[in-house]
Amino acid sequence: MNRIKMFFSSLLKKDAAKTVITSLWCALLGLIVGFLILLCINAQEAGYGMSSIMGNFLIFKNADNRLDYFGQTLAKAAPLIAMSLSILVCYKAGLFNLGASGQYSVAVLVISFMGAGANLPWWLVMVAAMIAGALWSMIAGALKVFFNVNEVISGIMLNWIALYLVNGILSANATVWDSTHSEAFTISGESNAHIPTIGLDKLFAGNSIVGLGMVLILVVAIAIFVLFKKTTIGYEIKAAGLNGDAADYAGISKVKNILIATAISGALAGFAASLNLQNGFTSWRLSSAPPLIGFQGISAAFLGGLHPIGVIFSSYFIEHVTEGGSMITDLGFAPEVASIITSVIIYLSGFVAFLKEMMRKSEIKEQLESISRIKGAGK
Amino acid sequence: MIIALSTFSYLLAFVCVLTIVALGGMFSEKSGTIALSLEGCMTIGALCAGIAMEVLPVSLPDGLSVLIVLLVALAGGGAYALLLAVASITFKANQTLAGTALNILSTGVAVVLVKLITKTEALPVGMSRLNFTRFYEIFNVNLFGMQGVRFNWLILIVLPLIPIVYFALYKTQYGLRLSSCGENPSCADSLGINVQKTRYVGVLLSGIFAGLGGLLLITLNAEWEFANGANGFGFLALAVLIFGQWKPLYIFLGAFIFSAFKTLSVSYPSIDFLANLGISSYFYLALPYVVCLVVLIFTSKKNVGPKALGTAYDKGKR
Repeated sequence: MNRIKMFFSSLLKKDAAKTVITSLWCALLGLIVGFLILLCINAQEAGYGMSSIMGNFLIFKNADNRLDYFGQTLAKAAPLIAMSLSILVCYKAGLFNLGASGQYSVAVLVISFMGAGANLPWWLVMVAAMIAGALWSMIAGALKVFFNVNEVISGIMLNWIALYLVNGILSANATVWDSTHSEAFTISGESNAHIPTIGLDKLFAGNSIVGLGMVLILVVAIAIFVLFKKTTIGYEIKAAGLNGDAADYAGISKVKNILIATAISGALAGFAASLNLQNGFTSWRLSSAPPLIGFQGISAAFLGGLHPIGVIFSSYFIEHVTEGGSMITDLGFAPEVASIITSVIIYLSGFVAFLKEMMRKSEIKEQLESISRIKGAGK
Repeated sequence: MIIALSTFSYLLAFVCVLTIVALGGMFSEKSGTIALSLEGCMTIGALCAGIAMEVLPVSLPDGLSVLIVLLVALAGGGAYALLLAVASITFKANQTLAGTALNILSTGVAVVLVKLITKTEALPVGMSRLNFTRFYEIFNVNLFGMQGVRFNWLILIVLPLIPIVYFALYKTQYGLRLSSCGENPSCADSLGINVQKTRYVGVLLSGIFAGLGGLLLITLNAEWEFANGANGFGFLALAVLIFGQWKPLYIFLGAFIFSAFKTLSVSYPSIDFLANLGISSYFYLALPYVVCLVVLIFTSKKNVGPKALGTAYDKGKR
């Protein structure tokens, strides 16, 4: 019995375990806030509304419907994973990628023309989207290293510039723009640009938006994990992020690493756009604000403890809640309740470092007490 | 003549919005806390004012209801900023993260609440825009009796604040203490200044100013779409603050430049010469942001922001 207790207490002392616990607390608190809001809006339906948000696809009675919507949630979580990896890579380099939305938008532009317009092979479109995202992101990186422009501000400005650029160019070209619905053409299932389903759609009641993309994102997440764990580039990026001047002194170029990190990060944002559009699920709509996914990526990245594997779970969770949120409109609730839940979670995840510190301090206190107890017994 | 005057009134209003919000942000950043949540504070200030304008009974005298709307906007912005203060000052959270979270949260809260109060039998989910024509006509007066030229008199509250802020920051004990907390908090602490309290006040002021900016922004029109938050004005104000090098007078000048381009995006169709060029409206919409980025390139190199900006004060780290 004592041994099991010791096993758990030693597990709790691990840093990763602390991150998981604090993240779970944040998620729980976010959900509680969401429930309270639903209660205030309509107390009678709040329980059912909350179970819709939490249950998402489980709310359906029919097994095929369940599989279909489960597949949809998984497929929509994939771009979010890519987005949170984009935030994560920049964060490791000491930068805050608030411009991910803009990088995503520019990639959408490329995908619309090359995919929906020119019907080029899917992998080519995907690579082009990633390059577009990387180049757009490197503007902020270059401004940072050469002109000392704060990347948060330039990222925000570039988001808006990209938004109007994409709105303006897409809506002015009839080859890519469906003016009756005022949105860009969606990539159809038969198109060359559609990511192959490789038979995965069969598992999810024939939902064709599930496909190779799901496998690719897992590979990419593991690749990012390996990048920071095992490679020199990853090590240098981290070193430059922790203390740029010290890294510079040790021969690790700050300029090179910031440019590399922003390029990888932008490519990942472009990858997110590719995963989101090239499965034929959605397309660009005229919008008056930068795409929300860039900011959702921030929540997923921090909720996932800024760990490449952790963000897979946190992204799924956030997408699960968001998808569930879209199902509560029938009950008379605004679907934005889900966005309140996720933003409360990000806000709380800012406290994670503080909570971990508290846990560490209480452990030290415990140890000190046990030491003094042993000393006392010795006397 | 009317076109020129109404363009000018737009320009003046935008200048005032950006200046007041950036000045608020200055209090926050001068004390050491990044004011990324300005956009959120503007949205919440505007939301509170919007709700007040919706629910206040018509029977109330105009003066009293205007006063309530004004106070509610200030209180809303200030209260929302306190969320940033708690996270970044007391709990030492990453300030960029907390600010971003609050910006997303503000739009979510605004849309949910506005939908709730616009809910009717026919519209069970409600809509995310509010109409306040009555207050639009109270806040905006026809100057010289000319139809089509409207001046928002809230500007008259904003303009005198510029010299007041200047005086408060450079000539009062409080202003100097505030700056010291953003430059070298350990030193300020050693001289007996309560760093945390000073920073709380700085952030609170930023929220109050942003709330006023939000109210001014939405009352320039007779209705407001809350799904757009504050339409990016909070972010522009932050850029103005950095471009203005955290100095009140430069901030005013910076706000002027950006407002000129922002005004252009609103009123270019009525200027024949520009309308005939046939350039996409999106070009004019993007222009203020492009100009902002270019200006930042030229001014950031020698940037002299508060030294302790963005770092939580840790007593043990002296």
